[in-house]
Formats: sequence, structure tokens, C-alpha cells
Amino acid sequence: MTTALADAEEFRTLLEEELGLPIRPEDLDRPLDDFPDWDSVLLLRLVTVVENLVGRPIPVVDLLETRTFRQMYEVVMGR
Amino acid sequence: MTKTENHTLGASGAWHDAQALGALRALRRAGTLAAEYTRVPALLARMPATDLPAAGQLLARLDPKEVCRHADVPVVTVAVTGHSTVAPVVAPLTAELARHGMLLEAKVAPYGSYLQDLMRPAAAGDDQPQLTLCLLDAHMVFDDVTVPWRVEDVEAAARARLSLVAGAVRTHQEAGRGLLVLNTVPLHRRHTHQLVDLRSRARLGAVWRDFNRGLLSLAEQHPSVVTVDLDPLLAEGVPAWDPRTAQYARARLSDALLAAYAREAAHVVRARLGRTRKCLVLDLDGTLWGGVLGEDGAGGVELGAGLRGEAFQEFQRVIGQLGAQGVLLAVSSKNDTDTVRETLRTHPAMVLREGDFVRVNANWKAKHDNLRDIADRLGLGLDSFVFVDDSLFECGLVAEQVPEVAVVRVDDEPALHPSALLADGWFDLFELTEADLERAGRYRTEALRQEFREDFGSYQDYLEGLGLEVALRPPEESELARVSQLTLRTNQFHLATERLQVPQVAERMERPGGYVLAVRARDRFGDHGLVGALFLRRDKEVLRIDNFVLSCRVFSRGIESACVAAVLEFARDTGASAVTGRFVPSPRNSAFAPFYAEHGFAVTGTDPDHPDAVAFRHDLVDIAPAPAHLRLQAAFGPFDGDPT
Repeated sequence: MTTALADAEEFRTLLEEELGLPIRPEDLDRPLDDFPDWDSVLLLRLVTVVENLVGRPIPVVDLLETRTFRQMYEVVMGR
Repeated sequence: MTKTENHTLGASGAWHDAQALGALRALRRAGTLAAEYTRVPALLARMPATDLPAAGQLLARLDPKEVCRHADVPVVTVAVTGHSTVAPVVAPLTAELARHGMLLEAKVAPYGSYLQDLMRPAAAGDDQPQLTLCLLDAHMVFDDVTVPWRVEDVEAAARARLSLVAGAVRTHQEAGRGLLVLNTVPLHRRHTHQLVDLRSRARLGAVWRDFNRGLLSLAEQHPSVVTVDLDPLLAEGVPAWDPRTAQYARARLSDALLAAYAREAAHVVRARLGRTRKCLVLDLDGTLWGGVLGEDGAGGVELGAGLRGEAFQEFQRVIGQLGAQGVLLAVSSKNDTDTVRETLRTHPAMVLREGDFVRVNANWKAKHDNLRDIADRLGLGLDSFVFVDDSLFECGLVAEQVPEVAVVRVDDEPALHPSALLADGWFDLFELTEADLERAGRYRTEALRQEFREDFGSYQDYLEGLGLEVALRPPEESELARVSQLTLRTNQFHLATERLQVPQVAERMERPGGYVLAVRARDRFGDHGLVGALFLRRDKEVLRIDNFVLSCRVFSRGIESACVAAVLEFARDTGASAVTGRFVPSPRNSAFAPFYAEHGFAVTGTDPDHPDAVAFRHDLVDIAPAPAHLRLQAAFGPFDGDPT
């Protein structure tokens, strides 16, 4: 795994490798409700994984309130 | 011992394989993870602990049915419930069970439904999970406390909550819903430090310990309840919780704590399935003492004197403690046998002595061959073994050649040896019996029997010289734990492989027409103790042998034949017209598939309850006598009436 997330593509790889969730590039902007395998438990796991990766706390509430994977990526990157 | 590196090891020279997670990911990417599931335990065995959660996430997404289509993997069905969000335990538990070659099928209860879950009636047949995990956290008490609160309020809430839980657990157990795992509840600084006066704060600590003590005592009251104490796990430096996920997602136990808990839970499953390991095989140089015996001599090795010498001695004490509880200890060391035996006998600082080991294999052969030799001599499967060595080469080779053996690699810091050995509960079991405490002595006596045997011209001469006495009678109440343990742990001579807990054994005894008979054996060398059990049931004119289990320690001595002869005679003398038996195949009992046929039973078909099972019947016309080399005393207990 890389030591930081360069772009949304790397975030997609991270979802796949860390959570076992295969996401296509075009899925990044689709609503999370479209993914039956997605659930809030994975989001909790994502908090741990991403914080280990970027080495700083991320705003958990913002992450919980995202509606797409791209929004998640943006929260993770602090945008 | 050799320090040579092996090609199978990573370039880093570490035991843990940093590439293992990558290999698992590659299988998942290729879509072959389910099909190649049998490769997973080996990958996980050497995966750094920090990578296991990620592995668990990948494995938890597999469909268990898909895996079972490809591989013969035991499936463990687990109901997960608790006070808060409990689903995060599924991935770590998936990884921990996969380390043991088992596949998790989890059913997660809705948020906060644990009391209702525990009090539900039992599900029918296969829908009943093998295990229920009920995850408890501090909110189960503090949810019932309102601001402002005093210690008395927490005390009252904790008492009320404990009483609710105790009632629900009793209902769960009385409904026959099987194994239940609870946990003690960590007290958070978040709570203690809301009290500013130090006296109250101390009192809260005491109140909380009483609450946890109550949870722990539920395991004493119910034989099928286990309470995992989280305190020792937290003491290893694991955070108890993450305030953000607790607040926002009601996930009130940290990922790291759930991972540690899952490791304990997986060993509970192992114990329940009779997979407790029985034998600990130890290297010597670098493991039980520092230095190299062959070069430094007995006086030159690090043991007893000096800081590291004391650390090695401490490790030996830990091993001695395990040995005192029935774990069989053995040595596999690349050394000259005479030097090793002399050192074990005479080194003043040795805690473990020659007599503490059931086998000392000091030679120059490969360690996996020595492990096979020790297994053969003890009559145990390699899947009962744990192997400890400091050499990466030896650990790697053993892991590769005999993957059934659990490998514990200790490093060059002896102060860490005990933690490495105890990191997994390889020897965890439900209840220690007298037989466990005497096991090592029995295996050593067995070595004497083997020497005695070597003096005889034929095996029959040996048997005749052994003076074997067998007693068949209902177990005393104090022996029920041993009977249960035989059913839980015996895999080879176990004709119907029915695993029974103590209450189930008692229930078999109380059933109308039911008999449970304990088999005891002794010979000129000593008492084997309670080595087997027969489960019989009289059904009108037929006496059914529901199950027959015999410890591998006493195979091939005619004990099993004598027991069957006694059952047949008892049946005939009490007016039965036939005795039936059944063989239910398991992965390890195939050697005894012909047992009933060899004892005059005819095959009558299959058992409607078990399509794989074979049913046998003996018409009692021609009963073969018990082997002449042994004496058998049988007392079947009260016979309740003429069945005709």
C-alpha cells in the first residue's frame, strides 16, 4: 500500500484492498445506496485504515455524512 | 541448532511474512480466494498481526457457501449479539477462525437486542448457531444512569443490569441454546474521572469490579458459558475504545480490542470442537537456554546465572506450569543425545528435568521427522502439536513440511519467550480433569510399556504379560467431566463422534433405558484411569450402542473388543434380541469403520439421521468371547425391567 493517497484512483484501490470492495472508476460518484455490500461497519474500518495511512485524525462525522465514495475521498484529503 | 537462512524465508529474515497480505489480495483480485481457501491458513499463520484485520475484511466478504463448494472446510456458525454495534467483530473473528482452518458463518443481531436474543426459544436443528457471542460494554450500565449521578446510582444500575443479564443467560442455557461467550466490561477513565472526589472514584472502581465479578461467575454457574476477561487483553496496551466511533456509530469496543477478543473466541471454538492441542515440542539452544550446548558445553550455556540466564529460567517455569496442567512436553533438538540428557539431569539451573518430558529427541535428523516420530510414539495426530524454536530456518521448515503443527517462533530476546508462547491459547480447554493432571505420568509409563514390549517375541506375548484389567461401570458424578472431555477431545476411536458437555452426559444417564458406561483400565505398570465410554439405550428388545469412544492411549490391547463382548452378554442376559451399533464417519475415525463388522455385527443399512452413517446389528446368537489376556469386570447399573 502507498503511504499517502495521491488521487481518487488510489482511494479506489484502498477500498478494494482494505475493505474487499471492488469499485469501478465510474462508481465513485454513484450514491452509496446503490452498493448493497456497503455498510456503516465498513466506514468505521475505513476510519482506522485511513488514519493509519495519512497519519492524522480525520473528521469522522463528515465521513459518516458522505453520500458517495468521491465525497469520502474529499473528506479524507481534508478538502 | 543452525542459523542458516532458508530460501522459503522473506529477505527481511523475519518470521512474519510481510508479503502474506499481498498474496491474499492477489487471490481476491484474481477471483480465486474462495476456490483456494485451503491456502489461507498458511498465509495467515505467518502474517504480521497488524495485517490480520485487513485480511479479515477480505475474507469476511466471501460467501461461505461458495467456499464450501470448493473445499472441505469446517463451518462455524456464530450468532453475534450485544449491547452496542457488534458487527465490527465479524471481520477479526473471520480472520482468527481462518487461521485455524475454519470458516465463519456469522449472524449479526440488530443493535442493542442482546437481552431479547438471549431469551428467545431455541431454533430448530441446523438453524441453531454453534456459538453465541454476546459483546458487553460499559454503556450497558451507564445508559441507565442519569446526570447528576453518584456512585450509589452506578452501583444500583450495575446490580439491576447484572441481574437482568444473569436471568437472560439462565434462560438461554435452559433452552439448550449451546455455548455462550460473554466478556468483562472495561471501565473507562471517561467515567471514573467524572467523579472529582477521590474516595468516590475508588468506590466506583470497586463497584465496577463487583459487576465484572458477577459476569465472570456466570461462567462458574453454567458449564456452557465462557466469560472472556478483557482486562488481560487491555493490559497488553490495547485501547479499549475510540470515543468517536463510540459516539457516532455506537461501536463501543475498539477495533484492536475486538481483534484480541476474536483471538480468544477462536480458541474457545477450538476447545469446543475438541481441537485443543496436547503436546508442546521445544527446541533447546536459544529456546530453553541461551548459547549452543554443543559448543559452549553444559557449563557455558546461559541459564540461571546472569540477566538472560534468569529470563530463560523464567520461560522454563512457564512451560512447567503448562506441563503441570496436562500439556505433554517434548524436546526436539539438533544436539548429541547424551550431552542433552546429561544437561537435563544435572544442570543446576534447569527448572525442567528429563522426567518432565515425555520424549527427548536429540539427534541430527530434520525436526519435522522428529515431530512425526514423537507423534507416532505418543499416538497423537500432528494437529495436536505446538512447536517452539528460535531458528527461522527450523520454524520455516516445520511450517512447510508439517503444516498441521502450530509453530511459535521465539526470537533472541528470552524475556519475550513467554509472551510468544502464550499469544495463542493453544492449550485452552473448558475444564481440567484429573486425567489431564496425570497425563504426562501416563505417557511416561507408556514409554516403559514400550520398552517392556520390545523384550517380547510377539505382541500377543506382550499383551499376556501386561496383566490388563478393565472395568466397565456407570461413571461417578465426579467423573462426568472426564467422560464429557473424552467425547470432546477424542477423534480417532470415536464411532459416532457425538460431542457432549457434562449436563448432556448426565442427561444420557437419566434417560429411561439409557446407560452411560465408563471404561477404566489398569495394568502392571499403572492405572490408565478413565479411558473410554459407551453410550447405550434400550429400545424395547434392542440394545442400541449410540456411541463408543476410547482414548488413543489404550488402542490395540483388546479393551474395545472386551467392552463389546460385555455389552453383548449383558444384552443377552437381560432378554434383548439384538444389539445395534452405528458408525458415523468423521475426518479422523476412518480406521475404525470396520470395527462393528469385525465384532460379529452385520451391516443393516444407513441411519436416517445421518445419511453417511452405517448401521450395524448383532443378533446375539454367536457372541465371541472377550480376549483371554485381560480381565473385565462389568456393572451396568440397574436394569429397569423385562423389556418383553
